Amino acid sequence: MIIVNYIASIVLIVLGLYTVCTKKNLIKVVLGLGIVDYGVNLLIVSLGFNDGGTAPIYQMSDLLNGVAPHFFVDPVPQALTLTSIVIGACVDAMALSLVIMIYRKYKSINADDVRRLHG
Amino acid sequence: MIQHFPVLAVMLLFLGAFCVEIFGSKNEGIRNTITMLAATIALVLIYALIKPVMIDGEIISYWMGNWAPVSGYAIGIGYEIDALSLFFALLVVTTFWLSGVYSLSYMANDHHLGHYYTLYLMLSGSVLGLVMTGDVFNMFVMVEIMTFASVALTAFRNENEGTLEAGFKYLVIGSMGSSFTLTGIALIYGQCHTLNMAQISAQLSCGGLTPTTVMALALIVAGFGVKSYIVPFHTPAADAYMVAPTSISMIFSGMVNKAGVYGMIRVLYIIFRVMDQSNVQMLIVLFGAVTMFIGVTMALTQHEFKRLLAFHSISQIGYVITAIGLGSALGLTSGLFHAMNHTLFKGLLFLTAGAVLYATGTTNLDKLGGLSKRMPKTTICFLIGAFSISGLPPFNGFVSKWLVYQATYTKAVESGNFVYAIVTVVALVVSVMTLASFIKVTQAVFFGQLPAELKKTKEVPAAMLVPMYIMSALCVLCGIFYPIVNKYLLYPATNAALNVTNYIDKMMGDGYAAGLGVSNIEVAPAAFSFWNPIVWLILFVVIFIAAFIVITGSKSSRGQLLQPGVKYDPKYATFFSGEEELFSQVGGSDLFWGFKTDWKGYYRVLEGLHSGIVTDYAVFTVIATAIITLCMFIFMR
Amino acid sequence: MLILKSLFYILIFPGALFTSCFGLFLAGVDRKVVARMQHRIGPPLRQPMYDFFKLLGKETIIPHAANKLAFLAAPVIGFVSLALIMLFIPVGGFTAFSGNADMIVILYLITIPGVALIVGGSSSGSPYAGIGISREMVTMMAYELPFVLVLLAVARKAGGSELAFSMEKVAMWQAENGNMLFQWSMIPAAIAMLLVVPAEVGTQPFDVAEAETEICEGPLIEYSGGALGMFKLNTAMKMFVMSGLFVSLFLGGIRTGSVLCDIIIFIVLCVVVTIICMSTTHAVTARLKIEHLFKFYWTFVAGMALCSLILVWCGL
Repeated sequence: MIIVNYIASIVLIVLGLYTVCTKKNLIKVVLGLGIVDYGVNLLIVSLGFNDGGTAPIYQMSDLLNGVAPHFFVDPVPQALTLTSIVIGACVDAMALSLVIMIYRKYKSINADDVRRLHG
Repeated sequence: MIQHFPVLAVMLLFLGAFCVEIFGSKNEGIRNTITMLAATIALVLIYALIKPVMIDGEIISYWMGNWAPVSGYAIGIGYEIDALSLFFALLVVTTFWLSGVYSLSYMANDHHLGHYYTLYLMLSGSVLGLVMTGDVFNMFVMVEIMTFASVALTAFRNENEGTLEAGFKYLVIGSMGSSFTLTGIALIYGQCHTLNMAQISAQLSCGGLTPTTVMALALIVAGFGVKSYIVPFHTPAADAYMVAPTSISMIFSGMVNKAGVYGMIRVLYIIFRVMDQSNVQMLIVLFGAVTMFIGVTMALTQHEFKRLLAFHSISQIGYVITAIGLGSALGLTSGLFHAMNHTLFKGLLFLTAGAVLYATGTTNLDKLGGLSKRMPKTTICFLIGAFSISGLPPFNGFVSKWLVYQATYTKAVESGNFVYAIVTVVALVVSVMTLASFIKVTQAVFFGQLPAELKKTKEVPAAMLVPMYIMSALCVLCGIFYPIVNKYLLYPATNAALNVTNYIDKMMGDGYAAGLGVSNIEVAPAAFSFWNPIVWLILFVVIFIAAFIVITGSKSSRGQLLQPGVKYDPKYATFFSGEEELFSQVGGSDLFWGFKTDWKGYYRVLEGLHSGIVTDYAVFTVIATAIITLCMFIFMR
Repeated sequence: MLILKSLFYILIFPGALFTSCFGLFLAGVDRKVVARMQHRIGPPLRQPMYDFFKLLGKETIIPHAANKLAFLAAPVIGFVSLALIMLFIPVGGFTAFSGNADMIVILYLITIPGVALIVGGSSSGSPYAGIGISREMVTMMAYELPFVLVLLAVARKAGGSELAFSMEKVAMWQAENGNMLFQWSMIPAAIAMLLVVPAEVGTQPFDVAEAETEICEGPLIEYSGGALGMFKLNTAMKMFVMSGLFVSLFLGGIRTGSVLCDIIIFIVLCVVVTIICMSTTHAVTARLKIEHLFKFYWTFVAGMALCSLILVWCGL
């Protein structure tokens, strides 16, 4: 059931946003961002999925001549997801490295303590 | 030949970034050569497009790997440069080139400069790619590269106070925005099965809006709202602009938030084409009006030069968003003009702030003063920038703000909606408040008395002054020769944003748009009938002659200081009437207390909201996105 | 030919010469009327003119801490912009330059003399001037809101369904339909404008920026000689420009058919407006505090102007 995927992805996105908004621990904030990312990735993959479709590996001539079955999984979302996963990994790496440096400097990773710039 | 230029410019910048990292991390000469070579060639390549795109009205398209559309479906990644893209691309290349020149001496004393220039080139390349791409997913990738490079550059001087914190906030809010954009893009893909902007536009305008596309629109608008820092997404901007190296602050305000504005225009006017709906107009205009008001009122209470400028950036983007939200040709022209002017004068102001930081080591308004005698050239550049942003005639800010008022009030009269009249009033009042906060900077940094510890301050080196001179000259020239700017830059760009057919046809093949029933809107060039340029010139001559006569011809003499053992003429006593001179500077925070006491309650609320806690900012982001989504769902037809 | 004509407009009529002469004359009238109200005889009408020429002949002393360029250029820039504003205000039906949207131009040009005063005062380096410029700026913010509302209300009234920020259109509308002042929906706006005029000129009770008993003339404290004379002239010109603006916004409907008569009527009306809104308030009130001034303008005066704007918007 593809509808389950959509619901799951929305739930993941909302959970992730909830984590970012409510957790004061900076590591948890980063995890929240990660969860939002996974939700979006799940959404994209599900968009291209066709129940019972085959893998999309054909030549253009096969398609035009009708040799290949016309029912296959959309390959573009998979490429998008791949890019998006890589970007998500970068976000996590960068955010965590910032958190480490913040911890060295502020001796805390509580968001309430990391507020020297305000007003 | 010419269709390769845009993609070459982007590729060169990315290639330059890698080369700097590989060859230039040790050797300063190689590093600077590679950086400036890449930046300059990109500049030349983009400027070479002015003639075909702006003057001849061509649209340049380029398919990566020659993957042209097959039977009406765009498969490959396409670059498409119409006048709107080129308008923003010109802003981008000008900004990063000047910033690069400025960096050469401004950043010279920093460490790890190899990383700095790598990130600088990545940032430049990504924004340039963003404004020229014709593919929504490519746009998203560019947005992400832009966000990372920005975060890394914000935290670049990580030994300084607050840089890491600002970087982290930027990253959290920025990647939330990117996630919204990506979700929106995914939804559009689900609906249209294509990622090409032209094809999406054609399909959406024939199919009408479905709930899915409305959701996608809302999310993408929110995502680009985060990138252009409209209130309430603005919070990380204030921190990041303040702590980033000044050459990067200039890039942030000059092109990174323009990228957000560009995204808004592209999405609203070209991809979804919803700007003819009065409710969408109202939504965007209200966001813009709130942005400009909150930005300027926050700026009035700041004690930091660069943080003050950051809030002004937010406020001026409010003008731009208001203007483009009006949905009229006049509004779009004024918005584009103000975006361009904002790039010029805010870049100039950031450069002067950087010069002050370079020369004195601080940007705290309460510790500075009297620098006009030590840094006269910087002072003149600052005054030009300050008068431009406050919209005093004859500088460029005046013309574009005048157009914004004209556009909003025309809208009010045409639609009979009183809200737009209030928006006009807000825009006018925000302008005088902008002036007030720049008067504060003038008094606190450049005039007043020189503190003892700044007595040895020197003017900054020429490599930093030259970008400032170029920016100042552009500020004045755009203010005087606005008809030329209008004819060659603004009118083509406005036309491109409102006439989608050509954009679609160029990408998808002739007749594609007509086949799906997409039509053009006729646009007349904006009329600047309020003033005759010759009057400006006469006025200049008169002012110069008058000022020259007074300054050179008047009988004047210098006041003296009371010194022991020297015979003293009390006639020349300065403000302590013969007493020994004391240091008594009216600092930045002390100005305008009469205003601040009247607004105490307002400021208490606002400063409580800008709490500095990253989760609070995330809550604002989520709430604002929810509001945008709700409004779109309720009011969209 | 166009250049010569423009030069004539800028330098002689209705620009620099005309404005400064009548500005100084108005300043004389003001002083005389205030004196009579206080049971004094008062100076002769030409006294401001004598003062101006006397100051021009004196030595200008630039304070040690000052920036010479900004210190000397500020009064000149204020003077030029004031002379320029007069080109956009219809003097009894005669406008030197017209256009679609000169109200906004006037609005901005009118801030320039204030900015010049601020820059000049600030560049002198004196702490008194520092306090003075802060007050001047707050005053400027205070009257800007009602001023904008008044201009928008008048523009809407005169423009009807199409937009007109144009002073000329306002004049034409009044020539057809009678004075703006006698439209009852415009009365609150007129009262608001009458209160904006003295704040813009900086006469008592709104002279917080130059309060001579507290901060010794504020921004002007270090000025002497010609530069001071220039600033005094600027104040006098502002008096004429602002009362002229009031007359052309609200009383521009009196037409005799002859341009000369119209100009004379314009000047007489300017004198009347000056006496009502500047001399009388000067004679009967004491100086406000800066925070009271701000609150007064953003609540009462802006409220009046907004009232007018809403009435006009409702088609009244």
